Amino acid sequence: MDDPIAILLQKTATQDRAAFRELYSASSSKLMGVLLRILSQRAEAEDALQEVYTRVWLKAGRYDATKGRGMTWLISLSRNLAIDRLRQRSDHVSDDDAMEAHADPAPRAETRLIATGEARRINDCFATLEPDRAAALRGAYLAGLSYTDLATKFDVPLNTMRTWLRRSLLRLKECMGS
Amino acid sequence: MTDQPILPPDEDDDLLAAEYVLGLLDREERALVEARLRRDATLMLRVEDWEERLSGLNDDYAEVAAPNLMPQIEARLFPQAPVARRSLFGNLWAWGSAATAAVALVAYLALTPAAPSYTAILTADAGGLKYEATISQDTLTLTRVSGTDADPTHSYELWVIAGDNPPVSLGVVPGNAQTITRPGLAEGQTLAITLEQSGGSPDGKPHGPIVAAGKLIAA
Repeated sequence: MDDPIAILLQKTATQDRAAFRELYSASSSKLMGVLLRILSQRAEAEDALQEVYTRVWLKAGRYDATKGRGMTWLISLSRNLAIDRLRQRSDHVSDDDAMEAHADPAPRAETRLIATGEARRINDCFATLEPDRAAALRGAYLAGLSYTDLATKFDVPLNTMRTWLRRSLLRLKECMGS
Repeated sequence: MTDQPILPPDEDDDLLAAEYVLGLLDREERALVEARLRRDATLMLRVEDWEERLSGLNDDYAEVAAPNLMPQIEARLFPQAPVARRSLFGNLWAWGSAATAAVALVAYLALTPAAPSYTAILTADAGGLKYEATISQDTLTLTRVSGTDADPTHSYELWVIAGDNPPVSLGVVPGNAQTITRPGLAEGQTLAITLEQSGGSPDGKPHGPIVAAGKLIAA
């Protein structure tokens, strides 16, 4: 299997602590990047990183290598945890700050150049969408922006944003070959 | 042309899965989806499909050097330090060891109009072991919702882990329901059940595998 992270996850599921440490070395920089992008605050991202790996140890047995790559599973787990934390912040001001902190939802040229096959495919499909809707979808995925955040950012009514993005998601799915 | 597309229920669910994966939903909507995911395998498959479909965007996340937090993580999971004296309660029920490999935990917040409260649902993937913990003010009520019975050589033991502190035993889990008065249970703490020798850990430290664990999330 050409997926070292998947192998480490499977070993971790058997309570192999050495593999668990190796998994941390191999994946923590990427997951830190995910958590910091969504949470914006270093201290909270580090706290979340501890929670991520605690959950990874407890849930590694649920990883199924036939369903996807190990890193994809780890990033999904990290994004879910970070988005849950973001939504729990009662203070709306900090959400606005967070939005300011990652205001670059547009695709970056250098990212496209080194993109993997999967990334190329989704970037091609994003290119078929209206640019502002593609930017909104990217902002949601990468930075954890909600419909409410995006409606504010793009200065449109909430329902309009919802309709835009739901239509865009249907087109995206079709483009990706469902 | 209508503003809201009318969608068949299937397609609506698929879009809901996409919205959940993207992170578009607000807190209440996310909680509803997460509650459904616990029992709706079809919705779970849709979520996994969207995670895979959107995974090409993961290249956009830059790597950021992380400090070595393994010592703290291991201290949470594999505590070595002595812990506060364990309070055994109830009789020593012998509980069966079901499955220990795959453990899922879902903790969610229950909002009640009266006092603030938390609810954690502790489940194991195999064996059907399932507990529900409810904390209201200083009282924790642990209820066994489903699960297999009894192998007389083991006991389940409940622990609370606060931050980086070692686990503190809340005693052997006796029977189908238990109420414990325990001040200080709060958001961010982890409840865990381990499989210990019959009668519980002899020295106040967990030795057996964790069979269910989860974090309390507060309003």
